Amino acid sequence: MSKTVLGIYDLTQASFSSSLRLTLSDGPLELGWRHSGLTSDFIAEAMALRFAASKTLHADIHHGIEYLSNELIENAVKFRLPGEIIIEACVKAEVFLMRVRNEIDAATSLRFRDILTGMLAADPGELLIQQIEANAASDSGASGLGLLTLLADYHARMAWEFETSGENRVRLTTTASLELPLTSTE
Amino acid sequence: MEIRDENFRIWAEGTTIYFDGVLRLAGPDAYAPIHSLAAAALHENHERVVFDLTGLEFLNSSGINLLAKLTIEARRQSSVQLVIKGTTQYPWQSKSLPNLKKLYPQLDLQLA
Repeated sequence: MSKTVLGIYDLTQASFSSSLRLTLSDGPLELGWRHSGLTSDFIAEAMALRFAASKTLHADIHHGIEYLSNELIENAVKFRLPGEIIIEACVKAEVFLMRVRNEIDAATSLRFRDILTGMLAADPGELLIQQIEANAASDSGASGLGLLTLLADYHARMAWEFETSGENRVRLTTTASLELPLTSTE
Repeated sequence: MEIRDENFRIWAEGTTIYFDGVLRLAGPDAYAPIHSLAAAALHENHERVVFDLTGLEFLNSSGINLLAKLTIEARRQSSVQLVIKGTTQYPWQSKSLPNLKKLYPQLDLQLA
């Protein structure tokens, strides 16, 4: 079984013991687009609850977690092969950690690896502006801004693991971390 | 004209387009009707068009792409002054709206 890791390798070793764990399954749930928003709302509510004493701090932390969760789950819903999406999330040492696992097909995997290789070699802020200009010129079907905004605007750290899991099936594990702004003026 | 669902509402009043709620549609196709509504205001020969985002709690990256696309359309049409009104109350706005100024320095971005 071949495995490729892109991004920050250390994140792939992060422990998610004592984390929140959700599995979104095909079947009666009729897994679709709206589940990404619902699920990211739930994760943000659950994870930010402990910071509720400060309104400003809570809003910042809630939003960062919600944005990151929503973008990662949107990608999983959009690009997955039929099957489960497994989501783990926790807050440890002032850092929000999240892991999303789903399967994609081999062509999607190759395309995504190419995009990531280019993304990781450049400055995310500059690439974000370039990508926006390219989108405005081309009317392409996907904006490609999700990961770029996470890297450039939210300073998220990320890693992607690609493992062959069957014929034309690749198991993609995305791990992301976000430093929580634990200082507030309140 | 108004576009809405249970999570958001977008409407025009004079030369101001208001964006309200939580907006996380699936991609450029899903955002097309909103793009048409806002782009129409930019192309109606007004001197000034305002996008009021002060009620927009959340916007996904596809929605940020929409705002960027509209900003570039305003840049191409120098006869109209685009004003984007935002709020620091919703953290995504402080993080992502300044990118629009990089695309179009003449944009009047008001983050209060």
